[in-house]
Amino acid sequence: MSSVWLPCGDYHWNYAQDQGWWQTKFIKGKMILLLAVVFIGIPLFLDDYWISVGTMVGYTAMGALGVQLLIGYAGLLTLGHAAFIAVGAYTSVMLILQFPWPQFMLDWGIAYPVSIILAGIVAGLWSVLFGLPSVKVKGFYLILTTMAAQFITVDFILTQYISQIGGRGQAFSLPPGTIKIGPWVIDTEKTTYYVMAVLLSLMIIVLANLLRSRAGRAWVAIRDNDIAAEALGINIIWYKLLAFFVAGFMAGVAGAFWVCNTAALSPEHFQWFLSLWLVGVILIGGVGSIQGAVFGSIFMVVVMELLQMAVLPIADFYPKVLMNFAYVKDMAFGLAICAFLIYEPNGLAYRWWQAKNYFNLWPFSY
Amino acid sequence: MELFLMTLTTGILVGGIYALVALGWVLIYKCSGVLNLAMGELTLIGAYVTYSFHAVGIPFIPAVLLTLLVGIVLGVLTERIFLDKLIGEPILAVIMVTVGLSFFLKGLIGYTWGSDTRVFTPPVFEIKPITLGMLRLSPVYLWSFVLAIVLLIAFVCFFKYTRWGLSMQATADDETAALSLGVSARFVYASAWAIAFMSAGVGGALLGNINGINISVGYLGLLVLPAVVLGGLNSVPGAIVGGILIGLLQNLSGTYLDQYFPGGVKEIVPFAFMAVFLLFKPYGLWGWERIERV
Repeated sequence: MSSVWLPCGDYHWNYAQDQGWWQTKFIKGKMILLLAVVFIGIPLFLDDYWISVGTMVGYTAMGALGVQLLIGYAGLLTLGHAAFIAVGAYTSVMLILQFPWPQFMLDWGIAYPVSIILAGIVAGLWSVLFGLPSVKVKGFYLILTTMAAQFITVDFILTQYISQIGGRGQAFSLPPGTIKIGPWVIDTEKTTYYVMAVLLSLMIIVLANLLRSRAGRAWVAIRDNDIAAEALGINIIWYKLLAFFVAGFMAGVAGAFWVCNTAALSPEHFQWFLSLWLVGVILIGGVGSIQGAVFGSIFMVVVMELLQMAVLPIADFYPKVLMNFAYVKDMAFGLAICAFLIYEPNGLAYRWWQAKNYFNLWPFSY
Repeated sequence: MELFLMTLTTGILVGGIYALVALGWVLIYKCSGVLNLAMGELTLIGAYVTYSFHAVGIPFIPAVLLTLLVGIVLGVLTERIFLDKLIGEPILAVIMVTVGLSFFLKGLIGYTWGSDTRVFTPPVFEIKPITLGMLRLSPVYLWSFVLAIVLLIAFVCFFKYTRWGLSMQATADDETAALSLGVSARFVYASAWAIAFMSAGVGGALLGNINGINISVGYLGLLVLPAVVLGGLNSVPGAIVGGILIGLLQNLSGTYLDQYFPGGVKEIVPFAFMAVFLLFKPYGLWGWERIERV
């Protein structure tokens, strides 16, 4: 926050101002405009297809925020985040389908919101369980334990056991109209988009506030040098596990949101691919910044959509490209990650920051 | 008892193949400090390239040798295009480049060869099991194990006695000192990647003979990671012991645990075991313990 350039003659008079979110009127106006675009502009002016793309961006960003917290702020490498999203999604679905809700709760539409919160808590605890090795190991060894979380949770427990509950076979499908928040039934692209926008905004606010609290400073200290952090009196075990809990909670909420965006829930949605994808998103967006997670999601989802559009004309005379589009997508994603890491290691957020500085200091940039 | 012995031997034999792939991994880590998550795809590439040569009509052994050649080319190319620019970057960046690489290779493989399971026709190894006392072993496993052990010994000798191998060890030990003594680090890194592609390629070719080739062979290549961690990241004997241990663990759990936890317990146990193991021995069996200072 302190990296904000203040206009001439604008000073901070106390620490509260220094820590403030919206430090100048311009930033405040800009953010209100952004909120207006997200909440009013996009649903009003775009068609259903692009709204659904927006929903995907939001879902990716929700998942990526947790990864950003773990990797970008707490320095805990994770390659198993999809497991926690899956835990959230399945908790939410199981609660809605199996739990004997009192009728009035269903009527008032409390069931789904409650299940979102519980999904977050369950996923958070599950994440702490697999974060336990982080007490002793770090770096590559930690990557492997989070990979273990992925395979144990999704490929084994969810596929082999949870999916079989109720004799539904592989996929859980929710009857239409089950997902209800208060008086609103979530069944169209637009309503799903609004749920996404609200949840994502809440998550960004919570994360941004956490990061400027004691916990956030402790995380950054651990990331930069965990031994020094311990010497400074930071309880690194507690804060590492707290990071895992918060990241898992966010993943759980993202998973619970995914329930209303999909007709049938199956473990296929949470393969290792998704974990890698989320890490790729924050690398492209920029490690260690909240905007980075959002930029990365926008970039990846929109670029993939554009790629699909670009492929369509080629497919007329070379149909193999479209038939194997999933593979083309893999290749593009892999190349994008490599290219960003090699040529743009600071990510999109850094470019954004540079552009902002350029305009803030214009015309005297020295 | 017979079942137990059977499981044990099969485990050890499959473990030999894992050890071979794990060796490639450890070599890369030892020489350049790169943590390679694309090992599964390297294995897949090896399997498919051997298959393609074999499908054209080249016998298996020359096909494997040709695969080794392709592996050298691909390894050097990979190193030059992707990894060369990242020497000295933070560990996450390097790991993620290998992840990007694995996506790229997976897409490329899927695009080129499709998702159907390919089987070596005619079968390379006989299907009739060989009887050794009361053990009956399928020749695929036996030959794979023998080939794996031969290659392991070859790699170890290469590492210990040849000029290249020694310069690779020197670079692993201290890059700056090796450079000042006239070792070309770029050459060493390129050869490390070439060796990794080669050993993963042979491993893939052998694994592909067991159940046919499809994307899941890549998953088997991923199983090497627990093997490497069990042995310790930078220990060649550790890789071998770890590989055999994982093979054993997999087969024992497949035989004895499957009735209690039906489903894919065989695929999961190595990872679960590894996660618990790391809690007690964070550096694996013989990994270097880093003493960290502020």
